[in-house]
Amino acid sequence: MNTLELRAVSKSYDDFKAVEQLSFSIPKGAVFGLLGPNGAGKTTTLRMMIGITLPDQGEVFMFGEPFRRKHLERVGYLPEERGLYKRMKVLQTLVFLARLRGVAQHEATKRAQWWLDRLQLGRWANSKVEELSKGMQQKIQFIAAVLHQPEFVIMDEPFSGLDPANAMELKNVLVELKNAGKTILFSTHRMEQVERLCDSICLVNRGKSVLEGDLKQIKAGYGKSNVQLEYEGSAAFLDRKDIVQSYNDYGNYVELRLQPGADSQNVLRLATECARVNRFELVEPSLEAIFIDVVSKDGVVKKEGANA
Amino acid sequence: MRNTWLILQREYLERVRTKGFILFTVLMPLFIAGIIVGPAKLMSRKSSAVHSIVVVASSQALADEVKQQLDNPILSGSDDFDDKQPPKYSVSTSLDTSAAGQKALFDRVDRGELEGYIWLDDQAVKDRKVSYKTREASDFMQNVSIRTAVTAALVQQKLASHGIGNEEIEQLQKPLDVETVRIDKGRESKSGSVAMVMLPFLLMMMIYITVIVYGVAVMRSVLEEKNSRVMEVMLSSVTAKELMAGKILGVGAVGLTQILIWVALGMVASTPAAIAAKPYLAQLQIAPAVFACFPIFFLLGFILYSCMYAAVGAMVNSEEEAQQLQWPVMLPIIACSAFAMEAIRHPNSQLTFLLSEFPLTSPILMFVRVVVQQPPLWQILLSIGLLLVTIYGAVALCSRIYRVGILMYGKRPTLPEILKWIKYA
Repeated sequence: MNTLELRAVSKSYDDFKAVEQLSFSIPKGAVFGLLGPNGAGKTTTLRMMIGITLPDQGEVFMFGEPFRRKHLERVGYLPEERGLYKRMKVLQTLVFLARLRGVAQHEATKRAQWWLDRLQLGRWANSKVEELSKGMQQKIQFIAAVLHQPEFVIMDEPFSGLDPANAMELKNVLVELKNAGKTILFSTHRMEQVERLCDSICLVNRGKSVLEGDLKQIKAGYGKSNVQLEYEGSAAFLDRKDIVQSYNDYGNYVELRLQPGADSQNVLRLATECARVNRFELVEPSLEAIFIDVVSKDGVVKKEGANA
Repeated sequence: MRNTWLILQREYLERVRTKGFILFTVLMPLFIAGIIVGPAKLMSRKSSAVHSIVVVASSQALADEVKQQLDNPILSGSDDFDDKQPPKYSVSTSLDTSAAGQKALFDRVDRGELEGYIWLDDQAVKDRKVSYKTREASDFMQNVSIRTAVTAALVQQKLASHGIGNEEIEQLQKPLDVETVRIDKGRESKSGSVAMVMLPFLLMMMIYITVIVYGVAVMRSVLEEKNSRVMEVMLSSVTAKELMAGKILGVGAVGLTQILIWVALGMVASTPAAIAAKPYLAQLQIAPAVFACFPIFFLLGFILYSCMYAAVGAMVNSEEEAQQLQWPVMLPIIACSAFAMEAIRHPNSQLTFLLSEFPLTSPILMFVRVVVQQPPLWQILLSIGLLLVTIYGAVALCSRIYRVGILMYGKRPTLPEILKWIKYA
């Protein structure tokens, strides 16, 4: 059974098409990445999933049924726009939000206490939200999203604004949720953070799906056609268009994509001619590389289409 | 329904617990009491002082008569102040109407030995232009009492010179009582004129102030939720309509609580005064309709206006923008207070009738009419009906603006944009 299924969903604001004919499904227990650059329509898509806005066309299915508001009691949502009632106390806030999702007061209090202790926020339970640091507020909001034990957790940019220690803590909790059989949806433009977590992805650009499917299969489809290379010296070898299709140069580290049929050994030879090579590895493309590749191609196609 | 109730609860508890609420609840009655009691206390204190003045007249008889009138005034100043003490005087008389005599008195007043003198020579009597020279010329109570005393003295003298007996003159000079009796559905009911004006005015002010204060509170609360970005969290479990309804009802409940506290405080505080002032209060007859109409018009007025305030809060991004945009909403309420006097004085005029049926002004002006003079039942029901229809429309419209507006950040929307919001699904 699919936890979520979008069928040809569209939404436009005036002439601007925020989301166009978007379809994908998330099987139960999967970790799904909704990826895309800023302004691709990710947040609009999330809002349509949970009924904050309604699609102009298309249908949303949740837990195998057409979407109804009743389903929301089984959904946890961490919005990108973080915000809580500033003058409310932490524990009260959590209990209030849980009760809105149908948890009884007593039970909500018990669970909120447990989560606060778990994330080392126990001693802040009776402080006002505004007295907490931004990172702590974000953890509070995360707790609010999972307090009612949802089967489906939607996280919009969950790691933004967290320091590495807190990000890891959050990741651990998410892995636990995954192991407990929950369905998780990430929406982000930070690929490296979700690459290791996601089973499948949907890449959206300009409101349309440009790449969708199982992450391993997608990567395998690209093959080991990428080279990661650490070097010192000149990067002139990158300009060989007959061998290098595209590259992402960091100055002393570069990930490049070979032209179809090109031999990776040629790259190594060319590189050693003008630079000192410290590492050379043939890899599947990183999600980031796929993302940039797909998005830039999509952009080119669009431009050509506009010219024609 | 359950969600609206939870939101209402939160809004109510968060507000009632604040220091601001407690302060406002305690300070407002003190402030009103200060306004009502303060000046009255000041006036009665002043009138207990004895003013030493000199009456200068060309005949001793006239001077004595004025002195007598000042010592024992027959006529009290005016009806409005009949519960206040008239100023007390210690009067001496003088027949020296020469310029030198006037100069001497002038200097004594200037040095502060004398409070003032009344100049009443033949010329002054002929011109009916009496001058009272004093250093404190601003006490209008004194002006009134001197004017009545001199007038009474002159009339007394003239009548006496025509051979009318003193007793008869005094009888003539006694003030008349005019009793206003209202004919209402074939029955007579007395009403004190001051109370008739004050009561509707006070009750109207209560609706007026609470609608504005709590309407603005709704607007700010929406704005705060918008700015703190808590909206999206809320909207993932409740609808915009539930959120708006819970907010408006929660804030409205706070307003009602406040009024109830004030009424209770007022009743406790005024019990001794009410017993003392029983004959005075007896003139005041509050129809039961007033008690029924107060909560109805308060609630309907509040819901209508706070709905519009909520929409304004959803449209803007900052306090400053809110200040500008709330004017169109505020204007009709302010117009109400401007037309309230008209409604009190002419409760049956065409203008009053129209304004008391027009939904944006009816919560206040129809209520004023109910207090002053019971309008026909159909008119009350018509205005309630019109209000309900308007509220229905306003809720539909405002909740649409609200639903789109709360998720829009950035620049303030233009009118065509807002019209588009209303059309969005």
